[in-house]
Amino acid sequence: MAILEIKDVSKFFGGLAANLDVSFEVNQGMIMGLIGPNGAGKTTLFNCITGFYPPSRGEIVFDGRRMNGLHPDAVCKLGMARTWQKVRPLAKMSVVDNVMVGALCRTNSLKKARDMANEQLIVVHLENRALFRAGSLPIGERKKLEVARVLATQPKLLLLDEVMGGLNPAESDEIIQLILDIKKLGITQMVIEHDMKAIMRISDRIVVLNSGEKLTEGTPQEVVSNKAVIDAYLGESNA
Amino acid sequence: MRNLMNNARGSSTLPLFLALGAFVLLALVPHFVTSTYALHIMILVFISVITGSAWNILGGYTGQYSVGHAAYFGAGAYTTMILLQYRHVAPWYGIWAGVFVAVVVGLVIGSICFRLRGPYFVLASIAVAEIFRVCALNLTKLTNGAEGILLTQVPPLQIGNTVITDFMSKVPFYYTGLVTALAVIVVTWLVQNSKLGYYFQAIREDQDAAHSLGINLTLYKNAALSLSAIFTSLAGSLYGVYVGFIDPGTVLALDLSVQIVMVCIIGGIGTILGPAVGAIILVPFSEALRSNAIAQALIDSGLVKETSAVGAFLKEQLSHAHLLIYGILLVVVILYMPEGILGFIKKLSARVRKGAA
Repeated sequence: MAILEIKDVSKFFGGLAANLDVSFEVNQGMIMGLIGPNGAGKTTLFNCITGFYPPSRGEIVFDGRRMNGLHPDAVCKLGMARTWQKVRPLAKMSVVDNVMVGALCRTNSLKKARDMANEQLIVVHLENRALFRAGSLPIGERKKLEVARVLATQPKLLLLDEVMGGLNPAESDEIIQLILDIKKLGITQMVIEHDMKAIMRISDRIVVLNSGEKLTEGTPQEVVSNKAVIDAYLGESNA
Repeated sequence: MRNLMNNARGSSTLPLFLALGAFVLLALVPHFVTSTYALHIMILVFISVITGSAWNILGGYTGQYSVGHAAYFGAGAYTTMILLQYRHVAPWYGIWAGVFVAVVVGLVIGSICFRLRGPYFVLASIAVAEIFRVCALNLTKLTNGAEGILLTQVPPLQIGNTVITDFMSKVPFYYTGLVTALAVIVVTWLVQNSKLGYYFQAIREDQDAAHSLGINLTLYKNAALSLSAIFTSLAGSLYGVYVGFIDPGTVLALDLSVQIVMVCIIGGIGTILGPAVGAIILVPFSEALRSNAIAQALIDSGLVKETSAVGAFLKEQLSHAHLLIYGILLVVVILYMPEGILGFIKKLSARVRKGAA
């Protein structure tokens, strides 16, 4: 069953089409990979889905509900949460407070929110950092904090924008494990990633974007053997 | 472990107890101090504590640096004074009308300015407050324009036939100011320890991240602004009735907006007691400069001879230089105590503790 349907979504900035008639579906419980060269429109698509940009054309249907025109806070309350390519810790607040801000989306009680936040910190293995200032964490832990914070909003669909960007291989492995753990919790995920090895490992299906348009879609095996993908994405060495 | 974390978290009650202690001590002051001048300064301090703490809710916690808070101060002062002087509505009803007007003004300003971020918001807040000042200056039928409103009489406050106070001395104003100042500090503490406070601080730290975590930015920014406007308006009303005269140049001036922000910068932005500390230091200091008390003290202490060139210069010129000295003080604080006096003390005590451990 599709939890998210993208129907002919386009986003124009002036005359530039950052996304052009992109369509695909994300099924309940799967991990959908979203790849493409720089400037392919991956993050723009995330921004359209989560309400930061209104799509210029097309329709976004989440959980049977049309999402066009909703603000990001309403999108979050309906169960769709995103992380940011550039991490955005609430720097002067403590780690647990950061996660509590996410949890407060579902409760008005600070006590309940703190319990929920502590649970999420255990999921991402940051429980011994709870009282640190978020701004003092190194990049790897900041990425995990982002994930804990969005998990605390109790999403049905999680959109992860390059959570492995800037991490070393060991840290990337931890995030991969984390994404697989989250899948076990039954949360659908859509992942933008540049690390091909990682995305091949975790994705059930992959959508490839190029210059704002959908190039192809399929299982990881289908995608890596697709001639158009190799030409557009993996580039000149195969040309 | 969880217990430990709950206790160690920032919901410290220390600032609240400090404020309550100060409140009790200050409540006793009028029994011992009869100097009207001292009481006058204290009332000005209280008004500054109220406006500073009110600004702090919006500027310090929510991160929206408004330099147009004179608009709410003026809205309160003008509403209360117009009702009192021309419609004979007692001030203890009038102030609530003032609060209502200030919140409406705030929501109008908010709906325009909150579309902007950072320095653009600051500039817009100044511009909108200036619009209100010019309006007050020119709507002479309503506000009496540049002549201002001179209060001729305050009706005595009575319950039944018992007169509580006739507002003839400074004492009733002293207590009104003190109670309101405590109220705004308690409200700040309550905000900090609630969902509201978490959302305000999230907006301050990163608006986009806050937005994506389900925080309705418009709603919560306007909530912060309304809270802030309520107390700023109360301070304005208190000022108007206490001084007995208002005009656009005092209660709607850009100077006043800047003064409100400076109290917070010097005391410590985003802390519960920062604005109170800033007001307690800044108000008497500027008063001492203006009244030439500092030059007089230097001469009296014998450090500088009145007859010498320096003494004569100080006596003649120091009071005129109060804005200059004010400015220098601000620069020094920003350079050496970027988190204000309270932040500086916290850092110092942390260093001492580290040294001891």
